[in-house]
Amino acid sequence: MLLPRLRRFARALARDAHDADDLVQIAVERALTRAAQRRPDAPLSSWMFGIVRNAWLDELRARGRRARVFAPEEAGERIGDTSQGAHADLLAVQDALARLPEEQRAAVALVLIEGLSYKEAAYIMEVPIGTLTSRLARGRETLQEMLGET
Amino acid sequence: MNFSDETLMAYADGELDAASRAALEAAMATDPQLAQRFARHRALRARLRAALDPVLDEPLPERLLASVRGTPEPRRADNVVPLKRKAAPRWSWPQWGAIAASLIGGALLGPLLLRTPAGGAVVTRDGQVLASGALALALSEQLASDQPPGAAVQIGVSFRARNGDYCRTFVLRQKSALAGLACRGHEVWRLEVLAQNPVQPAAAAAYRPAGSALPASVAGRLDELIAGEPLDAGAEAAARAGGWKR
Repeated sequence: MLLPRLRRFARALARDAHDADDLVQIAVERALTRAAQRRPDAPLSSWMFGIVRNAWLDELRARGRRARVFAPEEAGERIGDTSQGAHADLLAVQDALARLPEEQRAAVALVLIEGLSYKEAAYIMEVPIGTLTSRLARGRETLQEMLGET
Repeated sequence: MNFSDETLMAYADGELDAASRAALEAAMATDPQLAQRFARHRALRARLRAALDPVLDEPLPERLLASVRGTPEPRRADNVVPLKRKAAPRWSWPQWGAIAASLIGGALLGPLLLRTPAGGAVVTRDGQVLASGALALALSEQLASDQPPGAAVQIGVSFRARNGDYCRTFVLRQKSALAGLACRGHEVWRLEVLAQNPVQPAAAAAYRPAGSALPASVAGRLDELIAGEPLDAGAEAAARAGGWKR
């Protein structure tokens, strides 16, 4: 089943659970109208991840237009102020992800969380593999600084 | 030997070739500092996965299931991108059915699969729609020039696609007549298109000249795919004898 993985990917991108599911829903609706145009040699998963990612880029542009940009400072205050355990760590990780530049966050989400190959991730992000790996390296370094040594 | 941070990351990501992997593993066995540099990358991967993996176990929201089934509900909030809606999504079940099955699995798709127009003649597997049962058999065995009277499947035109695959058009004579086009590859018949046949099933019983009874979507796909001319009776029989292999 691909849908749970699309939800995980969207959650890494959008952080807010409802926003993330909205992204997935938009992606499914777009996929439905474009099913006929899908290149049969492209794996379905890559195709769908790409649609989720593009829906997210559209959302960011729309947020920019509405001047309601997500404020990372507010997120920063939440780090460490909730209870211990898995939920607290989810928040810490998601806050750290949210503070990455978008293209680094997408690279991290596709390779480190979704476990895709560099080739698949580069295909989804429509960039050369070298670009993907440098975004990934920078994203990793920033995350390690923000999250501390684990 | 010196290993760059990029090499260590590639190792953590499963991207090193066997030789580099062996060299790095041997070096890490005797170099604790190197091993520790690598452990950082592995730990970050593990921490991200541990934080996000619980999403996989959450029940799928009904609104997402409804979208996959092609019956979308309005989205929750007003603070998301207003999707520029087309009047109605234009899609056909053979194209979407396989995708939907991959997204949420057959069990959650449930009743929709039963609504598949061709009944048992098509199955979805690995994101593709494949011929099965009587349709698959007819595509493999039946010659257009020698069709059993009253057969459930009537073969139309056979041809080679530009990529070299053999393809055949067909008409399913069921309660609702369906026409389609399937291409052979990897030991299966892959459906390229399946459409309602405007011609009455009874009329399709008589042998018709190739392509004359095909819905526009099937004829259009044929035109896109075909390389050269359709197979004549001799070439069709030879293709069958060769198992429809390229």
